[in-house]
Amino acid sequence: MATTTAAVTLTSDLLSDNMSVSTSTTCMKGGTSADGLDQIDMGYVEIATGTNFDLLNADDTNNVNKANKVYVANESTDETYYVVITIDATVVGRLYAGDWMFIPWGAEDATADIEIQAYTGTNKISYAYLHEGKLLGSA
Amino acid sequence: MATTTATITIASSDLLSDEIALTSSATLTGAGNSTGILNTSGLSRKTLASGHAQYTLFDGTDYTADKAHKLYLKNISTTADEYFLVTINSEDIGRLYAGDWALIPWSAHDADNDIKIDPSANDMTLEYMLFVD
Repeated sequence: MATTTAAVTLTSDLLSDNMSVSTSTTCMKGGTSADGLDQIDMGYVEIATGTNFDLLNADDTNNVNKANKVYVANESTDETYYVVITIDATVVGRLYAGDWMFIPWGAEDATADIEIQAYTGTNKISYAYLHEGKLLGSA
Repeated sequence: MATTTATITIASSDLLSDEIALTSSATLTGAGNSTGILNTSGLSRKTLASGHAQYTLFDGTDYTADKAHKLYLKNISTTADEYFLVTINSEDIGRLYAGDWALIPWSAHDADNDIKIDPSANDMTLEYMLFVD
């Protein structure tokens, strides 16, 4: 099986005591410790303002209710630039220039796409999608 | 100004023919500015006795809408098939399986956009921390 790890370190001097939280997970298929996620899509796109785009499609077949993981980073450098991440019609949050996210994505039904819309200017986005399967469109 | 950083590394030596070693570091700042995040819930831990009962972790009405809040979650279970279903408002985001963690941007877009969790089994424990813009 493929072994992919995702590690995070959070550090801050926000509190009286310095904080340093570190953890790592091996990205497994849903409900097992024996089989790792073995499929990945990676990309880099420039997203113009004005339209809400589908970044990843929920296909309601191969990726529904799995242990998929989505990484998105906003590579823009202007601090006023941001993208809004939406799933179906629910706004998840804003990724400002320099921000990244790493979320589980259950793709619970056919409309639960991960959508992205850019604001202020054309945002530069890199992403990775670790998954258990993906429905390819018919040619 | 406080400085809070979040660094991720995604690594694999055998998923592709070439090694993956993706690293990104973000300094958590306010929406549209370079001022560091000034508030946090602190690192917290919650054990939920009942499985399949949805629990509101953060209420959207308590936070300013359309900001650059960030939420850290970790399922500390070691039983592979135990997961937390993470939901915002009524939209399921995904399943956080045993050992998995997430860093989620949260804009508390409207009052109903609560962060909710639903454990798949009894006595599961979640570790979490909210960075508040």
